[in-house]
Amino acid sequence: MIRRILALVKKEFLHLKGDWWLPAFMLFGGALELLAIGWATSRPITNLPLMIWDMDRTAASRNLVISLENTGVFALTEPAKSMETIENLMDRGEINAAVIIPHGFSNEIETIGGHPVLQVILNGAESIPAREALRAVKGVVRSLDEKITIDRLGIDPDLFKGFDFSLRVWFNEALNEAYYTTPAELALMLEFTILIFAALTFSREREFGTLEQLLVMPFSSIEIIIGKSIPVILVGMFDFTLMLGVVHFAFNVPIRGSGLLLFGLAFMYTLVELGKGMAISVFSKSQHQAFLLVFMVGMIDFLFTGYAAPVESMPKIIQYLAYFVPAHHWLNIMRGITLKGSTILDILPNILFLLVLGLVIGFFSLRYIRKALD
Amino acid sequence: MSFRHLWAVIRKELQHILRDRGTFILVLVTPTLVLLLMTYSLAVKIQHVPIALLDYDQSATSREFIHQITAGDDLDLYQNAVSMSEIEDLLIKGKIKAAIIIGPKFSEDLLAMRGLSLQIIIDGTEPETGGFAVDHIGWRAEAFANDILADQILVNGISLDSLEPIDLRIRSWYNPSLEPRVDIVPGLLSIVLGFPAFSVALTLAREHEHSTMEQLLATPVRRIELLLGKMIPYILAGLVNVIVIPVIAMAWFNVPFNGNFLEFLLLSAIFLFAELSMGMVIGVFMKSQSAALALSFLVVLFPGFFLTGIFFPIASLPEMARMESMFLPGTHYAIITRGVFLPGIGIDALWPYAIMLIVLGLAFTGIAALFFKKKLA
Repeated sequence: MIRRILALVKKEFLHLKGDWWLPAFMLFGGALELLAIGWATSRPITNLPLMIWDMDRTAASRNLVISLENTGVFALTEPAKSMETIENLMDRGEINAAVIIPHGFSNEIETIGGHPVLQVILNGAESIPAREALRAVKGVVRSLDEKITIDRLGIDPDLFKGFDFSLRVWFNEALNEAYYTTPAELALMLEFTILIFAALTFSREREFGTLEQLLVMPFSSIEIIIGKSIPVILVGMFDFTLMLGVVHFAFNVPIRGSGLLLFGLAFMYTLVELGKGMAISVFSKSQHQAFLLVFMVGMIDFLFTGYAAPVESMPKIIQYLAYFVPAHHWLNIMRGITLKGSTILDILPNILFLLVLGLVIGFFSLRYIRKALD
Repeated sequence: MSFRHLWAVIRKELQHILRDRGTFILVLVTPTLVLLLMTYSLAVKIQHVPIALLDYDQSATSREFIHQITAGDDLDLYQNAVSMSEIEDLLIKGKIKAAIIIGPKFSEDLLAMRGLSLQIIIDGTEPETGGFAVDHIGWRAEAFANDILADQILVNGISLDSLEPIDLRIRSWYNPSLEPRVDIVPGLLSIVLGFPAFSVALTLAREHEHSTMEQLLATPVRRIELLLGKMIPYILAGLVNVIVIPVIAMAWFNVPFNGNFLEFLLLSAIFLFAELSMGMVIGVFMKSQSAALALSFLVVLFPGFFLTGIFFPIASLPEMARMESMFLPGTHYAIITRGVFLPGIGIDALWPYAIMLIVLGLAFTGIAALFFKKKLA
């Protein structure tokens, strides 16, 4: 039996050789993409165009402008001269925020009990930068509040500890964005790579009509399945290793837990996605169809992995459904082992879920594939 | 260019499509379905962040503080811990995203203006949630301290009613509650309308793979007619989605559509032309469907997410990435959709982007036609 399986595997690789773009992309595309995207996006939000309308023109207002610039979040545009300018630019999406310092700002600061007014207009058409802009502005306002209060009370600045508290960050001391985003991207790339590759296995044979030829050969359906699975598994594990290397060495994401455990679970995850992909490929009538189905499934999984936002913030029903998505557990496992140094016990629920889901998916896929092939 | 030839190619393509109805339904339906999925998964307003509290003070003030912190929807009290090891355990298991440890002299220190004796620990594996927790805990804590202290402080006998004198007035235009869904849907439209490009790349590559390409070229149909003819059914599929999606956006997600719909239809058609010709270039270069697919993914899908300014502002991208993004039709269309939906501006303001799309479309089509010839010579 092993000899027959090996013959099938060799056939698969021969196919691939004739069309070297595909394996090249399968093997290296994921890592390359990870590098490019990981690098471009693990950067903080900066350079947001901010327009300021200073109607006060005093030392105090100018200091405020300087403070805003010093946050490093904004790129100041030309000063505004009218509300119309602000409206126009904001409509076109050319500025992310506008700050209006009214006349009398400085006076209110000097008066005890005075309330200086500051107007901030955010471009709600881009809510992500808008939130960041708001954060930065609130930070500047807080410092200024403190300064004004200290002046008014006439106390020694060092004695005013007003609102300070101590902050500790676990697992990711520098609050490095890459720690969060790159493992998620890795999980996504891995899933797509495996799914696409697996989906092409049978649908390609069907499209070219070579599936019938394969079936009349002296291979049992189990042997065919294993034979087709092996290249996918090899590619998947190679890709994972490469991408993990990129994530660890290029982005400095640590691997605090057991590497062996991580690889073992990656292998298990590969098998699960392989099962899904193969079932889709047997079901599809053409490569085009297989691809679109895989894409849909991948997108659905993407939803549940909590890639862009934590699952807790989603509607309850989505949170429940997430438990049935292998990728969700895989991402938790990966984040746990790399960043938190989790041991088997810590991530046990996720491992169990993955195992059970894998067995169920595997069982049904196998049955479906065997029935279809026979 | 002969319209008769063009029409013949379109008819042939339509027949192919109808023969494989399942696939075409997928092509038609995928953009809308994926938009729905992505809106639910990505346009998430962070809320109900689970936190734990460890109160070493146990005073009326600290209890009031805890009450204030968890009063809103943003932070949820998961557990009142009794020890540090409990907190450690909860953080490692991921049950909480942040923990607040209230020091034993919290109440005393606060009233003596010695500051807030608090320690906040956040789970850094999700910086966005962690940052959110820090911000919101910080703002609430400050408001709390402010309330307690302000009345007690007198300067020259005048009450200083607030330690936060600045009256910060915040307005958010187009999207008053900064609801992520409202601005993400127009952006996602730009991404999902790019999907037909995959199909275009595939259909060209398929002719190569099945060796029907030589047959096609033996006919009197010219290269450019062949390319355009193959593209048009997919542009139409895209346009169907352009009509359906804003309706869903308005009805289901409450996303306002303030612009002119006919202008939007025109601008979308131009975008589809540009985006699908990009797909054509891929299809011309790749000889097999699987390779065309792989390349489409790498070139269309992933950069579409990250370089088009939808989730991540272009202004914050490094120089080179910013330049790259200019070559993606999706970038320009994202600006168009955002402008048409929310502020409701029209072609009079958006024409530069329309021009860019036309230029990109012509360039890509030109490249495809050029290389089409060379590959088969």
